[in-house]
Amino acid sequence: MRISLLLLCGCVLLAFAGCVDPVRPYPSDLPGTVRLDLELRWNGAELALGDTAVDHLGHPVVLTNVQYYLNGLELRDASGTWHAVGDIHLVDFNREHPTAVEAVPAGTYTAMRFGVGIPKALNTDIDPASYPNDHPLSVLGSAGMFWTWSTGYIFLKYEGKAAVAEGSPIEEPISYHLGTDLSYRVITLPFAGPMQVDSREVTPVTVAFDGARMLSGPAGSIDVLTDPVSHNAPGTELPDRLLALLEDAFYLP
Amino acid sequence: MRGQTIGAILAALVVLGGCSRCNDPGPCEGCPGEPTPYVLEVPPFFPPMDIPADNPLTVEGVALGRLLFWDVDLSVDRTLSCGSCHLPEHGFTDPNPYSFGVNGAVGTRNAMPLVNLGWAPSYFWDGRALTLEEQILEPVPHPDEMALPWPEAVARLAADPDYPDRFAHAFGDRTVTVERVAQAIAQFLRTMVSAESKFDRWRRGEATLTDSEFRGYQMFLREGGDPETTPGGQFGGDCFHCHTEAGLQFTDYLFRNNGLDPSFEADPGRAAVTGWALDSGKFKVPTLRNVALTGPYMHDGRFATLEAVIEHYNTGGVPSSTIDPFMKYQSGGLTLSAGQKADLLAFLHTLTDTAFVHRPEFSDPH
Repeated sequence: MRISLLLLCGCVLLAFAGCVDPVRPYPSDLPGTVRLDLELRWNGAELALGDTAVDHLGHPVVLTNVQYYLNGLELRDASGTWHAVGDIHLVDFNREHPTAVEAVPAGTYTAMRFGVGIPKALNTDIDPASYPNDHPLSVLGSAGMFWTWSTGYIFLKYEGKAAVAEGSPIEEPISYHLGTDLSYRVITLPFAGPMQVDSREVTPVTVAFDGARMLSGPAGSIDVLTDPVSHNAPGTELPDRLLALLEDAFYLP
Repeated sequence: MRGQTIGAILAALVVLGGCSRCNDPGPCEGCPGEPTPYVLEVPPFFPPMDIPADNPLTVEGVALGRLLFWDVDLSVDRTLSCGSCHLPEHGFTDPNPYSFGVNGAVGTRNAMPLVNLGWAPSYFWDGRALTLEEQILEPVPHPDEMALPWPEAVARLAADPDYPDRFAHAFGDRTVTVERVAQAIAQFLRTMVSAESKFDRWRRGEATLTDSEFRGYQMFLREGGDPETTPGGQFGGDCFHCHTEAGLQFTDYLFRNNGLDPSFEADPGRAAVTGWALDSGKFKVPTLRNVALTGPYMHDGRFATLEAVIEHYNTGGVPSSTIDPFMKYQSGGLTLSAGQKADLLAFLHTLTDTAFVHRPEFSDPH
């Protein structure tokens, strides 16, 4: 009887003891978090899908769908070493305030870079159906961003409508889809000053994609009325012109 | 002594297990035991199916759901079941543009086909339901459909000599609730998997497409339009952008305006759910599985035949503020020849799964 009671008490104590957290020192090597706030802009000003803007040629333009894959965020520390911290994200401006959140070692960083698109190893050889449904490359996660088995994912979609002139109906289609392995681009953006990431703190970084810069920039310009569609068709030069513009379309405001 | 030791161990186990049992409502008298898990086989090339953790498939739940799906007691005048507007021989949809409800009421949109619903992220033409369980709640009390308020439906089922026991086998006790009715029907609908069309078998290397079917498939995958007038055009059908082949569901599950109307007063579509002007006139891209069986077509059933649907895309559609940029409304449409249209039609027929629509386990059990 006594043994039984002792056993019972022991078990009860054991059960309650399991609920108490031991005191541990605060770990200083826990990572921080970098949150990329991804914005759509037009000539530097914030733009929402559906807003009417005017392009470099005076054409009224309405963007109706802008999406891109942001892959493999890296941060450069003061020694010049790049730290890979990111995964694949589908940035979709149909959603409010798209973000990409990554765990980042605490430290000071001077620049960031990321890929726009899907790296070759993941682009065409893996069945989207093989991913869990909440993965950005899955059938559901990539909805509308997958071509076919041979050509893989659409890296960036830039869709909308334009008008010939102010006052005309805005119904000329714009449909730029960039993709295929050769279209993968790495965007490097230096920070204006050192960026400190503290352990267990969230550091926000705004990354802008400027729709106007996709149509006109240092690398050239595009008339949406004469070149309204590019779906990376072989033998056409419009994708190359768009890709050249793309590299200047991202910036840190 | 031995009994005391066992008692002590049992007491200890009760203490240790206390955290997981504290929400237990107590002993379940007359419980028939745990329901039998239903093993759903995901066909090759399909994505995984996300089944809600609080509504796992069970043999008893699926059987109950089938009974409920086909039960006219769920309509106010006992004339209509869910299956009345989702007829197997029509790919589990309604051959009428709009379904007839009780007392001659008429719906406002074409009934959607029931196939592979377990993979869909939203339901209804405007996507207003995000789960099957949520979707099922609507037609029973809807005045233009079955018009039976849920409390009455529950009372009828609870008074039935058979149903309470079936609920007990499926859910652990005899209580009939709205949620359990929806869960059971959702379980049944998730088992309605179609993967035995000629295209499926060809994809698995078990069948051969005819020359016409294969040409149609290639057209399905090519960009639309004459390259002289449509940049990037490849004289294709341009179907693949929206009816994507990935996952073999032949839909991207998005909402699009495919150029049916110049304005949207008659039906705002997705915008009624989101309140966003850019969604005006957009409707869910339906699957093409069993498309040869599921006419009439479009959210309002305006096209009686697949030929008429192809002709709509062939002419490009009507411009509007939200028309999809894939539509060739500014460049004269797809400009497919009669032979190309016939090939495309032949391909679409390969998506018919005759075995699926005749499977006894989906038929009316009453």
